[in-house]
Amino acid sequence: MPLLEVEHVTKRYGQGRTAVVAVDDVSFRAEPGRIFGLLGPNGAGKTSTIRMIAYITTPDAGRITLGGRPVGPATQRLMGYLPEERGLYRKLRVGEQLVYLARLKGRSASEAEAAARRWLDRFDALGWWSKRVEELSKGMQQKVQFIATVAHDPALVILDEPFTGLDPLNTDLLREVIAELRAAGRTVLFASHRMEQVEQVCDDLCLIAEGRVVLSGALREVKRRFGRDTVTLAFDGGDGWLDALAAGGAVEVLSRTAGHVTARLADGTPPRRVLEAALAGAREVVHFELHEPPLDEIFRIAVSGDRAAGPSDHRAGGGPGGALPPGQAPRSSGGPIVR
Amino acid sequence: MTRSFDDPMSKVLLIARSEYLRRVRSKTFAVTTLLAPLLALAVVALPIAFATMTGDEAARRVAVVDRTGRLARPLAEALPPTYTVIAEGAPVDSLRARVLDGRLDGYFVLPEGLLDGTAGAAYYSRGVGGLAQQAALQAALRDVVRAARIRDAGAPEAVLDLLGARAGLDLVTVSAEGDAADGALASSAVAYVLGLLIYVAVLIYGVMVMRGVIEEKANRIVEVIASSARPFELMMGKVLGIGAVGLTQLVGWSALMLAFSVAAGPLLALLFSPEAMSAPGMSLPEGASGELPFDPEELPSLLGRLLSPGLLAAFVGFFLGGYLLFSSLFAAVGSAVEQESDAQTLQLPIMLPIILPVFFLPSVLTAPDSGLSVFLSLFPFSSPILMVVRMAATDVPAWQVLLALAILVAAFVGMIALAARVYRVGILMYGKRATLRDLWRWVRTA
Repeated sequence: MPLLEVEHVTKRYGQGRTAVVAVDDVSFRAEPGRIFGLLGPNGAGKTSTIRMIAYITTPDAGRITLGGRPVGPATQRLMGYLPEERGLYRKLRVGEQLVYLARLKGRSASEAEAAARRWLDRFDALGWWSKRVEELSKGMQQKVQFIATVAHDPALVILDEPFTGLDPLNTDLLREVIAELRAAGRTVLFASHRMEQVEQVCDDLCLIAEGRVVLSGALREVKRRFGRDTVTLAFDGGDGWLDALAAGGAVEVLSRTAGHVTARLADGTPPRRVLEAALAGAREVVHFELHEPPLDEIFRIAVSGDRAAGPSDHRAGGGPGGALPPGQAPRSSGGPIVR
Repeated sequence: MTRSFDDPMSKVLLIARSEYLRRVRSKTFAVTTLLAPLLALAVVALPIAFATMTGDEAARRVAVVDRTGRLARPLAEALPPTYTVIAEGAPVDSLRARVLDGRLDGYFVLPEGLLDGTAGAAYYSRGVGGLAQQAALQAALRDVVRAARIRDAGAPEAVLDLLGARAGLDLVTVSAEGDAADGALASSAVAYVLGLLIYVAVLIYGVMVMRGVIEEKANRIVEVIASSARPFELMMGKVLGIGAVGLTQLVGWSALMLAFSVAAGPLLALLFSPEAMSAPGMSLPEGASGELPFDPEELPSLLGRLLSPGLLAAFVGFFLGGYLLFSSLFAAVGSAVEQESDAQTLQLPIMLPIILPVFFLPSVLTAPDSGLSVFLSLFPFSSPILMVVRMAATDVPAWQVLLALAILVAAFVGMIALAARVYRVGILMYGKRATLRDLWRWVRTA
């Protein structure tokens, strides 16, 4: 049973002719023990959607429930929110800050303090307890803010671009902690425009662009729907053979560096044709793989398909222009598609 | 905690507590609480001290050119003790030269026609000094000339004595608790101080609320808080927390001021009438006690009489009411901007109603029972300052005080509701400078 249900939610800002639809009939569900990715470019409506889930703003239409209850002051205690724009009280000491924020979420003073100490310890940061936030580095502040998001043990953890500004070590640490939250049965809502991060972390996803859902489902299934139509090659020698293929319309090059290329096959191009061209053109082929397109490519296809088809019917067929495979119907099927 | 957590009041209190502690524990708070009374005292005491000192020290050497032939001696006696007449009858040219090169401070020229009123006297110097000096010189000359004219008119010595006798006016304030002698001047001073104190306090703590809101918005913590509490709870928590900071500081200031004034009584007495201290019990020469409107040693008890418990309670009540009325508006303005410098134009419509009553303060003080004064002391934007002023200046009927409080409460409840609508939209609005029209639109659509 999903913990979070977002149903046909619409949010407009402004009024009259200047009104902007930030979120347009968005629906999705997020389940406990899974990491849900809310994806989209900047300005797609991610933060607007999250703010409604956090009951910071309210939708103009539609309904959001958390644990079966419509979101409201009571459900705010069940969720923790790490906003993309980080912020803490700069003059306040770390421990006091964490206790205060957890108490605002309904924890008692003693519970809050115990949880804050436990989490600081998890991040090897117990020594920061009586430091002022302004004395900490940006990365350290980010950890404190993450702890503030989870210290009250929320059922729903909303992380908006949580990895921004973290070094690789801390990125790994945070990824580990997110995995622990999933293992502990929490629902994690992960919002990002960095597709490769989502690909590494998420179980389910929902792609939104210009306020509308363009694609949603379990990550593995979404990728499978697009089929294995992408090849990656590693080779020695020149890559002139690739230009000939691309010029003939047989492939579309997604990425290309010295001795390494990823390309999407056009309709009707058999994978072996690329391999044969490479064998003929390059000195040696050291790696060849046929796989699903990377998520950013899927996103690009989905968004351009959405634009090409128009708002009322944006998932027509799997043709080269329209791109979305058949059966992919995030909007008109009347409900969200999760798996 | 017996209170259920979903009770919004407990969140407001939690927020207020955090806001309060964060500020009261800061160094700034300790410093301002300690230094402000010292500063205020310095502002009041230093000019007095300077005036007394310079008055005593600067001895002046003057000359008199007396063409009436009989005023020089009496004038020399009537001048303040710091003046010494060192030459009489020298030629004007040489006196002028001596004034210019500094050997002489000045000289009087008393023309022949002075006594019958056909000519005026003159005092030549390179600068008379303050107003007090001018007044002293004028008084001395007037006394001397008058005495001579009266004598010329044939009046007996007895009349002259009568004219010279002191004719002081004691100002007595009548109230139900008994008459307070010499209280009128002191009580209007108290009215001024209390009125200005409320004005300053509402401004200081109102701006503190605005700064707090801007700070939360600028460092983005507000989004985290808004996912934990309703904007209204956040705003009220902040307003109440900072209100408590204000009360704490006012109590601290009063305690310090009381301590100072207890200590200052003997100090002032020493400063103004040394005889009183050197020989207690000795009766003072007439006129010596006229320099202060009250007996310095009785300062604490005088303050106690002027600051009745009712007045103090009203002070606290009207301070809180005025603070709640204006601070919620300050919160609304703070929510609409991203940095303090942007707040200037939006602040103006709040500043005006805080500042305007101060301009009416003197007229309320002179006519505390006029129709205008009564209206201003009931009108919620001016009552916090002017009702307290009226109460200090006169006996205000209890029903008027209660009515003013009731109107004030109704006004701040309405104002908080209005401000909350702006605040709720404003705290999440970034990147665009809001105008007054925007704020009004938020009020209507929220």
